[in-house]
Amino acid sequence: MEKQYASIKDYGYRDFTKLNKIYSIIKKLLVILIVLGLYLSIIVIAIQSLNESRNLSSFTRLSFQWYLNIVREQELMNAIKNTFLVSSIATVLATFLGTFFAIGLYALSKKSRVLWMLLNNVPILNADIVTGFSLMLMFRLLMVVFPNIFGLFTLVMAHLFFTMPFVILSVMPKLKETDPNLMDAALDLGIKPYKALIKVVIPAIKAGIFSGMLLALTMSIDDFVISYFNTGSGFDNLSIWIYAVIGRRNLTPSVYAFSTLLTLFTMIGLLTYQFLQRQKKGKNNEKNSTSSVSSQS
Amino acid sequence: MNKEFRVLSRPYMVWLSVLVFFPILAMIFIGFSNLDSSVSIGEISLSFSHLNILTQSSTIIAFRNSLIFALATTFICFIFGYFIAYEIKLSKFKNKFVLLTLVILPMWSNLILRTESLANIMSENNILKSLLGFNIFGNIAGTWMAVLFGLVFTYMPFMILSVYTALEKIDFALEEAALDLGLTPLKKFWKVVFPLSLKGVVTGSIMVFLPTLAGFAIPKILSRGQIVFIGNIIDNKFIYTNYNHGALLAVVILIFILGSILLITKFDKEGETLL
Repeated sequence: MEKQYASIKDYGYRDFTKLNKIYSIIKKLLVILIVLGLYLSIIVIAIQSLNESRNLSSFTRLSFQWYLNIVREQELMNAIKNTFLVSSIATVLATFLGTFFAIGLYALSKKSRVLWMLLNNVPILNADIVTGFSLMLMFRLLMVVFPNIFGLFTLVMAHLFFTMPFVILSVMPKLKETDPNLMDAALDLGIKPYKALIKVVIPAIKAGIFSGMLLALTMSIDDFVISYFNTGSGFDNLSIWIYAVIGRRNLTPSVYAFSTLLTLFTMIGLLTYQFLQRQKKGKNNEKNSTSSVSSQS
Repeated sequence: MNKEFRVLSRPYMVWLSVLVFFPILAMIFIGFSNLDSSVSIGEISLSFSHLNILTQSSTIIAFRNSLIFALATTFICFIFGYFIAYEIKLSKFKNKFVLLTLVILPMWSNLILRTESLANIMSENNILKSLLGFNIFGNIAGTWMAVLFGLVFTYMPFMILSVYTALEKIDFALEEAALDLGLTPLKKFWKVVFPLSLKGVVTGSIMVFLPTLAGFAIPKILSRGQIVFIGNIIDNKFIYTNYNHGALLAVVILIFILGSILLITKFDKEGETLL
């Protein structure tokens, strides 16, 4: 019997449903494995923080003593204090100055803006070790004039140097998104340019400033290499202190407890932020729908 | 924007020019001169005697290690990171931002502490073994596998983020058009999606490659000092205050970085995928 109709296979259709099933299983497995790999160290830190014994090779009993012990560990508390001191100074300055610098750069002609943004990327792309080492050499040369320069000052300077570009980089796209008429409207309504900047432009780029600030804080708190080269006279931040203590092989489990707490807080903070954002959105939608209904009636 | 605001960028121009160029120039100068703490200002002169550090076998081995590990890490991160980024893009989960946050959340805890805890569970008797009853890694402490594992999972979030940023910007209409014109999903991915995401891949690769190439803490902790990277040599020179040698080695790393920056500017002019 002759075939009368062409089947879809003749048009080049191939049935992949079976393969798809296998593929989706492999896919899920791979996702789980990779996420596990990303979280492995955090999980281990959490387990180590709950272990009663100081010994890291076996889990003896569940205990929260290391959490209570955090405040009693002098050196650890000192390192935490230093970390937060440097990071908060650097983040506040970087966010504040970076926002205004970004506005300034945005006002430049396109050609010079591209050029300066390229230079702005240098601290981001430059390897930490080169940034850290070269800044250290510069500060060392300055030591001829200021002998006690190493410490809080050099650390804050170094942190500002590599966090500010992140603020600028996250503010810039928001500036590009804002309506240029916004500024003109404000000026037409008779406000001075700088007042308009603060009343109109800054609120419009708020989200970019906020994410820039978060990035700056993240980079600054977790930094090891740049701080390692630029600290001095026993001014250790958390990373430097841990690195030094690992060498001596007597790290107190309270460090793990502190790290676990920090992870939990960031996770809770981010999730609540998300939740609030969504609620706000939901409310806005409701408002819009009710207002549209009322306008129709 | 109002041209009046151009003034606001002036201080930053000064700041950037000074802090980008001056330290690097100082570094190059110290690398190629006899300047150290014992030399007085009048005796400073150009000197190439420090160049011998570059031909020492320990330096060459360290460079080879750094390069091989950086390339391998970048490649593995590219494969798995791209996969995860693509899965996030495809996922039906509405709030993609939460997924991205979960991916980068580990980066918020201390890098050194994370590396140290990885080193702990890679040794023969470890805390996970006493809980699970078996060793998930075997006994790879101090080997190249330990270092590679640590590097890959430390830097993969950078790749995921960059690739996702690029993927997210792809217009869905293009993908629909490709399917309408008869491409299979696989071909659609290869001919449409992948080329458009290349920008993110390049940025992500550089964000993984550079810190791996120049890092020293992860290899030191995970290989227990067995595998020496170029960063470890610089670290040693720093500890023994041999700044001339350290500066020269850092200059070599700088050359790699300049190459990467050129590559990035070719693909991504204003650094949009850097975040």
